Amino acid sequence: MAGGDGGMIEVIDLVKHYRASDGSVVRAVDGVSLAVAPGEMVGLLGANGAGKTTTLRVLATLLKPTSGTARVGGCDVQNDPLGARRQLGYVSATTGVPDRLSAREIMRSYGRLHGLSEGLLVQRIDDLVRALGLTDFADRPTGRLSSGQRQRVSLARALIHDPPAIVLDEPTNALDVVGARDLLHLLDSLRGEGRAILLSTHRLHEIEHRCDRFVIIHGGRVVAEGTPAEILRAHASLEAAFFAAIGQADVPVGVPGMPGERHHA
Amino acid sequence: MSDPHSRQADRSWRSTDISSTLAVTGFQLRRMLSRQRLLLAGLGVIFPGAVMLAVRRTVPAGLDRDLAVTMIYALVPEAVCMLGLLVTMCPAVADELERGTWIHVSVRPGGRRALLVGTYLAAVIWTSTVAILAAALAVFVAGVRQPWPLIGMLMVLVALSSLGRGALFALPAVILPRRALVASVGVALVVEYLAGFIPAVVNQATVSLRLRSLLVSWMNWRRQLPVEMQLLIDPQPAWVQITAVFTLAAVLLVAAVKILEYRQFPPSTEI
Repeated sequence: MAGGDGGMIEVIDLVKHYRASDGSVVRAVDGVSLAVAPGEMVGLLGANGAGKTTTLRVLATLLKPTSGTARVGGCDVQNDPLGARRQLGYVSATTGVPDRLSAREIMRSYGRLHGLSEGLLVQRIDDLVRALGLTDFADRPTGRLSSGQRQRVSLARALIHDPPAIVLDEPTNALDVVGARDLLHLLDSLRGEGRAILLSTHRLHEIEHRCDRFVIIHGGRVVAEGTPAEILRAHASLEAAFFAAIGQADVPVGVPGMPGERHHA
Repeated sequence: MSDPHSRQADRSWRSTDISSTLAVTGFQLRRMLSRQRLLLAGLGVIFPGAVMLAVRRTVPAGLDRDLAVTMIYALVPEAVCMLGLLVTMCPAVADELERGTWIHVSVRPGGRRALLVGTYLAAVIWTSTVAILAAALAVFVAGVRQPWPLIGMLMVLVALSSLGRGALFALPAVILPRRALVASVGVALVVEYLAGFIPAVVNQATVSLRLRSLLVSWMNWRRQLPVEMQLLIDPQPAWVQITAVFTLAAVLLVAAVKILEYRQFPPSTEI
């Protein structure tokens, strides 16, 4: 499906190079392709520095690609960044929710950034408070909330404009087991609503049985991808498949027996 | 001629922009109501009055009005406004990067523009409020005759100082977010207080020239000034000075917004 048609989220041959402070070129992303269809949850797996965050930030219009294409809801992030932003919800590991504001105040502020009318905004906030289980703490300053509750507020903020595509960058990093499970459960229900979800993580056990497909990247390149069944066909676990994939990243083979196998020089 | 649909879209986008900007302004003003910022505001309000009180106590016969006005001008529209804007405008982008909110604002349509302009408005409102209270307190403490017209004049100078210098500090805030404070102090010294006092074309683009010229004009000091001092003011009417400040602020702010819209911050810049 990588780079195929019909993806709510599409990345095609994406390249992103940075110039480091010493003048050298850092190839953060080097030809990544992937796609996420509506109602699908795709796990973007990779070690630290693999290029996950850079890929997601290009999708979120925060970074400009060096070459290649990234689209959200059919809107090219370079040619129509506003269109892409309207259709995307973004959640990061650092929640960035202001301590002194409540969940409702945060949602209201960000809803106004999307130009939502007051009536629609009130309705949307009430819906999200119910759907994401914020009722008990929606009016409490977020500085007094647990990490899991703050991440839920962050998710609510990302969903305030009802985007069809959601990108999450290591959202469970700061969460305990219970918080991570609750958040992933919420993502299940969002997928059930038909949203396309692209979730980056390196906590493989959490998503092993939740994602519809996995894309493993290493050194800025896709080294393996497939459904859980395809990934696990040759390996005992997702973790084993992951290590096999990144261990073979430098040679021209992907995970044995997997469709969408990629070859890199 | 554009079709009705695109005109509708334009109107809709303009109202979204205004709504987004005001949302950021409200958001930033609520942030500024922290204990630390309120303490700083209190110091900003009291400091010029305290200086005037100290000076007044050394002159038992009472302060000369012109001297008092000169001192209050230096303390409030210059010093308090400059310091207030350094605190509120310089960290416009750096604060968002540090708090991890930059990405969440930037992924909204028009988010970057709303962030900068909204923060600018919040900085101008916060600084102007502090400076106007400081000016009023200083005028009463100094015991000058006819205080109200003087306070009115200082209010206008404070508003213009905040508008112009807030926009000036927006540039270092977007170009060098991590070193915006140092860069802004440099800009203030080099542009406002060095270039601003050079009697040449270069000082036409400074806020300090406009404010000085307005002060001299409204206080009717022009004829009393020595010839060499007259070189440091612009003799054109007040409306020209005010228009110049607004134009300068608009140009600087548009430039800062354009720069910010093209800026990319690699993930490693967020600490």
